[in-house]
Amino acid sequence: MSSLGKQPKTKLKAGDTLPAVVKHVSQEKINLYAEASGDFNPIHIDEAFARQTPFGGTVAHGMLCLAYVSEMMTAAFGRSWAVGGRLSVRFKAPARPGDTITTEGKVVSTVDEEGVVYANCSLGARNQKGETVVVGEAKVKLG
Amino acid sequence: MKERSTDKTSAGAGFDQLVKGYEFSPVSYELSKSAISKYLEAVAGQGGYPSSDFVPPMCVAARSLGVLSGLISLLAGAIHTSQELEFLKLVPVGTTIECHGRVVQKLQRGRLRLLVIGLSTFNQDKEQVLAGKTTLVLPG
Repeated sequence: MSSLGKQPKTKLKAGDTLPAVVKHVSQEKINLYAEASGDFNPIHIDEAFARQTPFGGTVAHGMLCLAYVSEMMTAAFGRSWAVGGRLSVRFKAPARPGDTITTEGKVVSTVDEEGVVYANCSLGARNQKGETVVVGEAKVKLG
Repeated sequence: MKERSTDKTSAGAGFDQLVKGYEFSPVSYELSKSAISKYLEAVAGQGGYPSSDFVPPMCVAARSLGVLSGLISLLAGAIHTSQELEFLKLVPVGTTIECHGRVVQKLQRGRLRLLVIGLSTFNQDKEQVLAGKTTLVLPG
């Protein structure tokens, strides 16, 4: 069975924290993400251009940081995340080359909707200074 | 990823043309094994995914935003400020997805220019596999 088909052995409940994912951001990774996604916005890949913007240098794609968050959700919820998972996030601050991003998540509540139990989660990611890079929420079926 | 677009207008669409309801022409991508490998390298691996028969859902999302690439390249410096996503169906490796985008909200106040784009992605059987909403702030 593929990893997406696996279900975590432990059933999560309200108050549980999700396993953090830690990633190092580099310009090389950002360039690779631009190629893989087709998003060649110069703010991500052109240092000279990005230096003229309020960011003062290149920044990672928000979706790259969101991929780290999604990896955390996959580890916690398996297939349920890949089929039926929902998220809503805001990108609060840029992730820059050299940053280390750590994801965070927590099951805030569980709710029974017509016999199907869902977990409502808070989620996010911070850089090495503790600054919030991504913040939001998610809903995913349990079990 | 092999890209096929029938869109000759979106790449040239300026902010003025992007009125509420504007629909980008669909863009198709084949999510081949090599394309997914490149994505996984970019996100520094996702334990177990490379041996999976399915595409990581965020890889599908990343490509779905490709529908906006013409707009983004035109409006260099656009900032992605928020994202909503719903993963509806697993996508097997090798699937060709078709991505649709539509302007659902447009705001211009002084130097602030904001666009909200609705995303819908379908598999080869025309089943929706992903839904989303992307908010972009554009340089004034």
